[in-house]
This record gives sequence, structure tokens and C-alpha cells, in this order.
Amino acid sequence: MQGIKTFRNKILLCAILACALVTQVHAQSTATLTVSGEVTTPLELKAQDLAAMKQISHKVKDRDGKEHEFKGVALIEILEKAGVTTGAKLRGENLAKYALITAADGYEVLYALAEIDPEFTDQVILLATEKDGQPLPSGEGPFRIITPKDKKPARWIREVRSIKIAFAKN
Amino acid sequence: MSEHRRVWTKYTGGVSGWFVTILTATFCVFASLVSVVSHTPAPYELKYPANFGSRFTIPANNPTTHEGVYLGRMLFYEKKLSANNKFSCESCHEQKLAFTDGRPVSLGVDGSFTPRSSMSLSNLLWVRNFFWDGRSQGLEAQAAFPLTDPHEMGQSLAVSAEKLRKTAPYPALFGSAFGETGVTEQNILKALAQFERTLISADAPYDRYLAGQYQPTAAELRGMQLFENGPDPKRRIRGANCGHCHGSPKTFKELFHNNGLDSAFTDLGREKITSQSLDKGRFRVPTLRNILLTAPYMHDGRFKTIEAVLDHYSDHIRQSETLSSFLQDISNEENGKTLSLKTQEKQDIIAFFGMLTDSTFITNPAFSNPHSTPTAR
Ligand code: HEC
Ligand code: HEC
Repeated sequence: MQGIKTFRNKILLCAILACALVTQVHAQSTATLTVSGEVTTPLELKAQDLAAMKQISHKVKDRDGKEHEFKGVALIEILEKAGVTTGAKLRGENLAKYALITAADGYEVLYALAEIDPEFTDQVILLATEKDGQPLPSGEGPFRIITPKDKKPARWIREVRSIKIAFAKN
Repeated sequence: MSEHRRVWTKYTGGVSGWFVTILTATFCVFASLVSVVSHTPAPYELKYPANFGSRFTIPANNPTTHEGVYLGRMLFYEKKLSANNKFSCESCHEQKLAFTDGRPVSLGVDGSFTPRSSMSLSNLLWVRNFFWDGRSQGLEAQAAFPLTDPHEMGQSLAVSAEKLRKTAPYPALFGSAFGETGVTEQNILKALAQFERTLISADAPYDRYLAGQYQPTAAELRGMQLFENGPDPKRRIRGANCGHCHGSPKTFKELFHNNGLDSAFTDLGREKITSQSLDKGRFRVPTLRNILLTAPYMHDGRFKTIEAVLDHYSDHIRQSETLSSFLQDISNEENGKTLSLKTQEKQDIIAFFGMLTDSTFITNPAFSNPHSTPTAR
């Protein structure tokens, strides 16, 4: 009797866990990243849209002190897809533009466009979707910025929801 | 205006220049007289410490003025704005409690309870997304919710404007704050917003400490350290990591997190606004200013005491899909699963919270009920 009960409990537990896993994967795959502001084409990207773009990876030490391989799309590619003034167009007043990146919890970080553009810097800022071959876990993903040359990872913003391109005004 | 133009065209043709000059002069004198009678409202200077920063926007069509702020204060305490003439904003936002009401959830005009706990109103100037779930952008829009919600004050803006038009001294007060537009629905909201922007709390012992003018006690200092530090048992650093979400000179960061109150949610919080399931059970991180005055705590007022809040963070965080990653795997014990603060450490953090009580704010006569002085009645 006791045996049957624990067995039933185990099945129940497995079912709950499976459900939890499915809902989590589902939640991550429906999450969207918006690109808006000073763009010619506003974007709403899902994980599968990013997977269809050119993939690159960075091996870097994270907050935990360990090296991880992050894979995803170069941030500049996403900006180009949205029609941001990059490359030859990144001159004159366009140099006063920035990308304000916001996370699901409202945390915000800022990059000047010139910090992202390969004509200005050798550093390739990554919008990561995977860590060590796995989709980024919840609380970190589905999208996270990796900026290898930032010593302090405070701008390696997790749970990215939106990228807004704007002019600095004062 | 059109009257003047007609006069103008009629005489400029044949009549000599001096007549036009006199006419113009007369017009100028008249115009300046009119502007003296309905004088423009005086700008109100919002004062705050430099370390609060100036990241806020005041709508261009609602500049803060002395006349507008005074009217807003009258309205904040005005019971005619409720369906049964018995409720004002004060019913749920009392100055002596840092503009909360001391209840887990609040009683409204229809005798039912609000689904969530009243919020402290301080330093709203810097808030961008109002309410526990951040559903309202801007104080002007926000004010319409409590005024018209059937569980709060339960009266349409049109009826409120109608009642105020018939009540002295409101027509005159609206006139001096907003000129000719007078008592309108929009002006009610604008005046309330102006008053709320002035509710700045910046004179707590913590502010004076940051300005180098207050020496904390030993317990307050220990509490402040624990509040700010993340725990790192390997390096023997004890901490509670509260500052990660609640830190900064304003003790307010506009973030949305699930702080582990539940593992199943009756109130979905932020998810209802964004429709993203990763936001389930997230609520806005509220200010900790005057926190010892604003019990009970959390969006549903579930914790009666501040001690219960510390017990929660120390030992009872509930796991769920969306639990904030800043509350997972942090502990003062190696391989520990909970924060595990000692009794003394909890008391130290509470001592630090005492430094956030701003008695200037809760006794400031500029924020008090202007109707309650015997002469004003
Ligand atoms: C019946 C009680 C009640 C009355 C009356 C009331 N409020 Fe509130 N107030 C609340 C509750 C409850 C909340 C939180 C609601 C939520 O998050 O869903 C709140 C939240 C607020 C907030 C949001 C603060 C923040 O940090 O986001 C503001 C501002 C506010 N009220 C202003 C007012 C004004 C102005 C009035 C009068 C016009 C008023 N309230 C009348 C109960 C009340
Ligand atoms: C991950 C971010 C986060 C951390 C870290 C955090 N909090 Fe909170 N805190 C919140 C959120 C979100 C709420 C509102 C939750 C709700 O009502 O659903 C809250 C609410 C509170 C409240 C109640 C405020 C009120 O007006 O009712 C107190 C008090 C509080 N926290 C104290 C602390 C202390 C003490 C610590 C450190 C031990 C701490 N918090 C750490 C996010 C955090």
C-alpha cells in the first residue's frame, strides 16, 4: 500500500516537473526582444529569429570566476537589420546616438553607438542566446549581452527585453 | 481679439499715424491690466539633494506652480471627490504614516477592500511606472484610478468637476492655478499631480549621514553594511544583499522582481501588464523610506511586522519559475540554501531602517490637511 502511494507520488512529481520544464521552455521561446527608436525598421525578435542569423561565440570569464562559451548574434548585426546609422553613416550628429538596453526587471545600461560599431572598435559585443551549448537559463536569458572587454560585468545585462536607439539630448 | 483687428483695419487706411499710436498704446495698457488681474501662477521650485539625480520628467503642459500645488493639496484632502463625500486620498494615505494607511488592504467607498495594499507616497517625482505592477505612467494619469475606481473613491471625474464648480473656494483656486479653463476633469488630475511631486522626503538621518552630518550608532552601521553587502561565506563576508534591489540614496530603484513570497500566484503582478510569463509574480520594488512607519508590508500587506519581513528574506524564500536570481543560491553559510541571518543581524538591519525615518517629512505643514484648521472650515 505504502509502496503504491510513493510510486504514485513519484509519477505525480515527474508530471509536475515535466510540466514546469515545458512551460519554462515555452516561456523562453515566446519571449521577444524589441528594437525601436531611431531605426528605419522596428524589430520584434524571437529566439528562432536570432537562431536564423549569423552565429558567433565568445569564451569569457563570468561573475562566477569560471570560463563559459557564450553563443549568439553580434549586436551590430541586429542594429544593421533595424537600419540604425552604423558604419559609413556613423558620423556627424549620429555620433551622439546611444543604445539603451533594458532588462525584464527594468535594469538599464547604455552603450554609445560607436562602442558597438566595428569601424570604431575591435570588440564584438554579443547578444548571447546560449551558454556552454544550452539555452541561457531563466533569470539570465533568453537574451543576454556579453561585452568581453568590460572588466566589470555590470553591462553584461541579463534578460534583455528591449534596445532603444536615441539621440543624447540636453 | 478679432474685435481689435477690425478696429485696426478700419482706421489704418486714411487716419494719420498718431491716432494709430494712441490706439496701440491704449491697447497695451489694457492688455497689461488684464494680465495683472489674472496673473500667471508662480513657478514652484522643487528642492532635493544632488545625489538624488534629476532623472525625471514633468509634463510640459503641467508645470509645477505655487497655486497648482496648493490646489492639489486642497483636493488631496477633499472628501467631495468621493461618491459618498466620506473619502479623500487621505483615507488611505495619511501623512503621519508616510502616506500609507496602516492596513493590509484598504476599505473603499463601496465597503469592499482594495485588492492590494496602499503605497507610501514619497519621492514620486522619480517614479516612472506607478502602482505595485507599474501599470500607470505619470502622476496625472495615475490620479484617475483612485478617484474613479468603485472600490476606492468611486466617482466619475465629470461628477467631481461638477461638485467642485459649486463649492467655494474651488472656482477661484482653479482660476488662479489654471486661468480660464477653470474647474475641469484634466485640471483636477493636474493639480493633484503637482502636489504629489512636492512630496519629497530627503531629511532622514540617512540623508544627513550621506551629507556627512550624522554619525550612525554601531548597530546602525552594522545594519547598513549588511544591507549593502552580498554574503560571501568563503571570504567570511556576511551580508543580506538588500541594497541590490533597494539601494541608492533614494532607497528606491525602479525594478520589478519576484521576491519569493509565494510559489503559486493569486496575484500575477507584472505579468498582467506585459503578458510575458517570465513576469509572473513580479512586483515593483517599493521604496524603503520611512519603512518603520508603513507596516503592514508587501503588495498584499501579509507581514504585520518588519521582523516578519526579515524572517522571510532570511529563511522563507519560496521557489518558483520566476523567483529573482538575486535571491537564489545566496547564503551566509557555505553551500547554504537560505540567507541565514542571525537574530542580532536582523536587529541591526532594523536599526538601519530607523535611519530612513524622515520626521521632517511626516510633520511638514506644507503636506498637511489644509481643511482641518478651524478658520479654514
Ligand atoms: C481606498 C483607498 C485609497 C484611496 C482613497 C486612494 N488610494 Fe492611492 N493607493 C491605494 C492602493 C491600494 C494603492 C496600490 C494599488 C495597486 O498597486 O494596485 C495606491 C497607490 C497609489 C499611488 C502609487 C504610488 C506608487 O509609488 O506607485 C499613488 C500616486 C496614489 N495611490 C495616489 C492617490 C491619490 C492622489 C488619491 C486621491 C485622489 C488616492 N491615492 C486615493 C489606495 C487608495
Ligand atoms: C531581488 C530584489 C530584492 C531584494 C534582493 C530584496 N528585496 Fe525587498 N522587496 C522586493 C520586492 C519586489 C518587493 C515587493 C514585493 C511584493 O510586495 O510583492 C520588496 C518588498 C520589501 C519590503 C516591503 C515594502 C513595503 O512597502 O511593503 C521590505 C521591508 C523589504 N522588501 C526589505 C528587504 C530587505 C530587508 C532585504 C534584504 C534582506 C530585501 N528587501 C531584499 C525586492 C527585493
